[in-house]
Amino acid sequence: MTLPRLVLMVFLQALILRDVSPLGQWTQPQWALWALLLIPPQAGPFIKLIAGFGMGLGLDLAMGTYGQHMVAGTVLGGLLPSLHRLMAPREGYEVNDRPTLKDMGSSWLLGFTLLCALIYHLALMVVTEWYWHLFPAALFPALTSAAFTTLCCLMTHLMVYSPDRRKATS
Amino acid sequence: MRNLWLLLQRNAFALAFIALMAVSLSVLMRHNGAVRSSWFIRTGGLNASVEQQRLQWRSYLHLAEENIALAEENAALRAQLLSMEMNAEWQPDSLRGWDVRRGMLIKGPDGHPHTQCLAAPGGDGGIEVGMGVLSGGMAFGTVEEVGEAHCRILPLVHAATYWSCRIRRGGPVVSIGWNGMSVDRMELVDVPRYVEANPGDSIFTSGYDLRLPADVLMGTVLDSRRTSGADFISVSVRPAVDFLSVRHLEFIQALPDSERIEMAQPPAP
Repeated sequence: MTLPRLVLMVFLQALILRDVSPLGQWTQPQWALWALLLIPPQAGPFIKLIAGFGMGLGLDLAMGTYGQHMVAGTVLGGLLPSLHRLMAPREGYEVNDRPTLKDMGSSWLLGFTLLCALIYHLALMVVTEWYWHLFPAALFPALTSAAFTTLCCLMTHLMVYSPDRRKATS
Repeated sequence: MRNLWLLLQRNAFALAFIALMAVSLSVLMRHNGAVRSSWFIRTGGLNASVEQQRLQWRSYLHLAEENIALAEENAALRAQLLSMEMNAEWQPDSLRGWDVRRGMLIKGPDGHPHTQCLAAPGGDGGIEVGMGVLSGGMAFGTVEEVGEAHCRILPLVHAATYWSCRIRRGGPVVSIGWNGMSVDRMELVDVPRYVEANPGDSIFTSGYDLRLPADVLMGTVLDSRRTSGADFISVSVRPAVDFLSVRHLEFIQALPDSERIEMAQPPAP
């Protein structure tokens, strides 16, 4: 399910959702992150790394950005295992825990999404701006974009895994 | 060998991470090479057609904003038209070694990419090849050829030439050129991405091309576009001179014995 979700989100972001930017450079969301962050914590580190790289490659191919998303995606994919360990509950993850609101709770989901979005946007900022003296001006837009990405991911999450649907299924 | 294999196995994830980062960074670094890469070539055509469709829909959905922008541009043009009579004339500055002669434009730019202008006077009036030409104190072009009573002028809006200029007074030196499309819009070329060019910034001559004195107003920055991943930014400039309605010209001549006159002459055949 992870792969189709990633492909779908990459295409949606490249074709439609990249224009959803109400405040210009201050709010440039990376919607595809939502699919990447849904990889279960129990998945192997290689899967996370390859998924991050693949997502970046897909975004680069679809948006013509030539390597920027590949670098950011690989950084995030490489750090995902450590982030999962860092954010693990005291008693560890259950076998069938998914990184969803239902399984992990709202504070975990919010913190994890924000952390990942920050890493991704900062990596993207570094490779996009490239020159040291351009970083200060790009830092604040990267931070606000990370916050907006978090908001978008949570919105998508609530739409896909809506509480109503959970009630209906339970 | 076995130990090496064990070491590789133990650090397989780190090695995979480094390998993927190397691939990503190599694509990023070899930006031009990436364009030649077969992956990107295959997807490039598809991207372009999808992007075209997307832009069409986007422009359709932004008609209201475009109308507002056009209305603002219209208002600015009307204001410029009303204030044209108030344009100050360029004053010769003896410290810089320049003198001025007045003239009339007979045939101005017509919007075609390679049109040259015709003006009076010519050699009888002291006009020489290589003199700079201003209009209302703002850069217009340079004298290319001189007859007895007329001269031919290469205007700023000529698609075959570039002019040296500065972004803001004392700012970085870049080149400005015309793409042959609209006389209301010129483009700065080879502007590195670290240069700041904000809408409203003035563009002045740099004086380095030996055709116009330094610090003569050329235009105003309309907008600058920073393409993601590109090494240069695209900057559009609105020329200060309204090329379609110019009538009066000032011919700028370097004062005698200046080496500029000598260097501005075309080389001997």
